[in-house]
Amino acid sequence: MKKIIAILEDINPEVDYTTCDTLIDNQILDSFAILSIVAELQEEFDVYVTPMDIKPANFNSAQALWAMVERLKA
Amino acid sequence: MSLVSLKFALFLLAAVIGYYRIPKKWQWVWLLLFSYVYYASAGLRIVPFLLFSTGVSYLAGRMMDRIKNSQTEKKLKQKRKRFVLLLMLLLDFGMLAVIKYTNFTLANMNRLFDLQLSFQAFLLPLGISFYTFQSAGYIIDVYWEKYEAEKNPFRFALFVSFFPQILQGPIGRFDRLARQLYEEHEFNWPRMERSLQLILWGFFKKMVIADNAARVVGEVFWGNNYQKYSGTTILVAVLGYSIQLYGDFSGGMDVVKGAASLFGIELDENFKRPFFAVSIADFWHRWHITLGTWMKDYVFYPLSLSKTMLRFGKFARKLLGKNLGRALPICLANIIVFFIVGVWHGANWKYIAYGLYNGLLIGFSGLMTPTARKWKSAWHIPAKSTVWHLFQIFRTFLLVNISWYFDRADNLTHAFALMQKTVTDFHFSDFRDGTLMLKGVSQIGPRLYNIVLFGCLLLFIVSFYQEKGVRIGEVLRAKPAVIRFLVYLLLLYALPAFGTLSSSGGGFIYAQF
Repeated sequence: MKKIIAILEDINPEVDYTTCDTLIDNQILDSFAILSIVAELQEEFDVYVTPMDIKPANFNSAQALWAMVERLKA
Repeated sequence: MSLVSLKFALFLLAAVIGYYRIPKKWQWVWLLLFSYVYYASAGLRIVPFLLFSTGVSYLAGRMMDRIKNSQTEKKLKQKRKRFVLLLMLLLDFGMLAVIKYTNFTLANMNRLFDLQLSFQAFLLPLGISFYTFQSAGYIIDVYWEKYEAEKNPFRFALFVSFFPQILQGPIGRFDRLARQLYEEHEFNWPRMERSLQLILWGFFKKMVIADNAARVVGEVFWGNNYQKYSGTTILVAVLGYSIQLYGDFSGGMDVVKGAASLFGIELDENFKRPFFAVSIADFWHRWHITLGTWMKDYVFYPLSLSKTMLRFGKFARKLLGKNLGRALPICLANIIVFFIVGVWHGANWKYIAYGLYNGLLIGFSGLMTPTARKWKSAWHIPAKSTVWHLFQIFRTFLLVNISWYFDRADNLTHAFALMQKTVTDFHFSDFRDGTLMLKGVSQIGPRLYNIVLFGCLLLFIVSFYQEKGVRIGEVLRAKPAVIRFLVYLLLLYALPAFGTLSSSGGGFIYAQF
């Protein structure tokens, strides 16, 4: 989870990722940021995100991202 | 049958009356019948194209579902499904490509290799770019197992042909639209009022704003006419094109959404006040939204997440460092997507330039994001600064208007000539001495400019409050009946009093794509 926060802060440091759960809904992350995150997740956790995984439910918060990583690792 | 015609008004009235009179379980059949009558009214010869696209995507869905439910092992299933996907997309887009791009390809081959290939006489079926994309989206969704394929071919035919949206979108998604099409709908007066309100507002945007602005735009952009006008006049014509295109397309969308809503069907939003955008990327989140989201979901993400692109990303990170290496594949994907957006608009190099211009700007903006953040921080610009926000809006508006040169000019050479004259022959005095009134051109004068400016002012006020979250339609519907109907009557009166019909007899710009 800490790694996820670090990845997010590296992409946009102006957000409190511990509390924000509307990263997509409030357009804090655009498609550019989403793909940057995906590249980092692949690098860090060796998980492959598919187009079907790109949905608000998976990217709205650090928690949701972590849950997706866990799911993909399994 | 143009949306701006008495024929369409009577057709819609007949469709609505019947829809609520017949047994509810047949409502979707009624819509299918009217959709095909509507499409056939533009010419029986174009119906086979619609049937072909419908048939291909219906069969693709059924075949992929059959493979999914078979007893075959997982890897083989995936292989077979991918084969069906590629074959059916090839058929679907193949038809579009042959009709739309054959002559463009032949012309370029003739020029490149000094050949004498003869051109083919294709008719361009109305709405083909829209319903092809809508049905292709369905095929990909079924492949991704987002939902089950539709089993009933007639129900599926309605999803592809629903008449309010068939000519110029919005490009619908099966999971959001189909369910509404097949549901039974009760007559509901408040919804009727909301729908008619939207239709009326759409007509106002189209007839009073867009088609009046079109007179100035058409005069200045016509062939070599620009040579007799100053750069200032060309700039005003480009601004006029912004107004025309927005009024035409978003006004058309209001009519389309209003017409669909009369049947209880809510179509996707296609516009969200695009001229309040703070960047080109933001502009595309607000302008022709359903095309943008289609491209994002079915081209941009699959392309960016493909193994080839991921490998390229790894290579770029090693070569160029983390930040640049991470951004480069995304920029490349953006450029490819907007190249396709350009091609979607038409078979002409000017459209390809239009697409690439947008793609390069978005790509560059993505690359510059970390740098821009550092600059903002160094210059102590607060994140919520109004001045900064207004600067971003102005900058975006300027960049968008540059893109219209490509979009509106006859061809690429024409676009560059217009741009050059705008810069080299610009005189502020033209704003004072009446030069912009295009003296001597029939029907263009102060009255026309005043109508367009007043229409734009009204549109701006409505958009401004909508941007602030005020639902203007709801506010109006909450007013006493006397006030409400007075506003409706005023808008209705404005249509013949100040409105005009474009030279194409009320045709819409996007209906030709």
